Amino acid sequence: MLTQINSKMVEASVVPGQRLFSQRGAMLAYRGEVTFTPNIMGGQGGIGSMLGRRIAHEDTPLMTVEGSGSAMFGHGGHHTHVIALAGDTLYVEADRLLVFEGSLQQSTMFMGSQGGLRGIIRGQATGQGLFTTTLTGHGAAAVLAHGGVFEIPITPGRPVHVDPQAYVAHRGEVRSKVSTSIGWREAVGRGSGEAFQLELTGNGTVFVQASEEKL
Amino acid sequence: MQGSRVLAVDLAGDSVKARNGSMVAYDGQMTFKRMSGGGEGLRGLVTRRITGEKMTVMEVQGQGTCWFAERATEINLVRLSGERLHVEASNLLCTEATLRTGTEFTGLRGASEGHGLFTTKVEGQGWAAVTSDGPAVILRVARGLPLRVDPGAYVAHTGNLKQSFRTDVTWRAVVGETGGESFQIEFEGDGLVYVQPSERRTFAGDA
Repeated sequence: MLTQINSKMVEASVVPGQRLFSQRGAMLAYRGEVTFTPNIMGGQGGIGSMLGRRIAHEDTPLMTVEGSGSAMFGHGGHHTHVIALAGDTLYVEADRLLVFEGSLQQSTMFMGSQGGLRGIIRGQATGQGLFTTTLTGHGAAAVLAHGGVFEIPITPGRPVHVDPQAYVAHRGEVRSKVSTSIGWREAVGRGSGEAFQLELTGNGTVFVQASEEKL
Repeated sequence: MQGSRVLAVDLAGDSVKARNGSMVAYDGQMTFKRMSGGGEGLRGLVTRRITGEKMTVMEVQGQGTCWFAERATEINLVRLSGERLHVEASNLLCTEATLRTGTEFTGLRGASEGHGLFTTKVEGQGWAAVTSDGPAVILRVARGLPLRVDPGAYVAHTGNLKQSFRTDVTWRAVVGETGGESFQIEFEGDGLVYVQPSERRTFAGDA
């Protein structure tokens, strides 16, 4: 169970037998008997998953949180946003992931598998790299953002365009690709500053932060 | 308006002017076009270049909803019905197409604020979105009740206000023993002043 205490802190209840994973060093306070173990593997899965994450640069140091009680998390004064998953998949950059429940299946996804070459270009153009982290299953996760997060629903036939720097995460059956609107204006340096956008189509939700700054 | 940091604008074929690069998301069909010199024509462009009150603005036109945000700063909506809004170019996020913008001389006050001798004025009928670092307070100035504002915390003002520059520099300031509040802007007349709960780095702040 993750509960939002205020806009920048989340509280997680820790129950025996249920693990939590959190970004290393993000614990602010805890009650009860809670242990924090650095997770060399950087998350779930075996050696294979670890290697995968290393290669993919999605290996943000994580720690395992176990015991009984509750722990509070926050990081760098950034805003936090709790997302509850019920069987669907959340796509998020590893460094934006603050804490998630062990009941969620964590894995790394190659961008190229969604849209082939365009997917690779997308990752490069937006500075997000070629890989992203996915969380699947039932449980809750908290993500970090600069400024508050707001949700925009994506419905079929009504695509949403997002500034790559303001994009935080998305969930559901969504395909993303880079759409460009480069004209002669950009070529001569008179662009509107909105040349690249992420175009999200399908059925789901996209989480956008109120700022164009990275974490 | 969605939350206090994101501005949602519904467009149905009409257009708004917004700061370059401040769009965070949109749905529907939108086109973004940079307007040189703040969209004030050649004369405006030259004036802005000379005054240093440079503003890169884009024209957003289309069908759908467009969301704007700027470095997680708070957004204040100001409704103008014919009066004039004075605002720093760096605090102006978005204006409706019905509003006109221009530059104006402020004198010594501008220099103390650390953004030069000029400021931007917005006139006409419509909405303007002004950013502030933290939620802004709106202070009323009435006749006989002047208001003094720290130059670093001043965001914008509307109404019929006369502004002057005040100092209380004494020998203490000269030897470096001050309360850090040696310079203020004084507003007299009738109107509203927007003040942010944060201070920009200014020349006056150091003195």
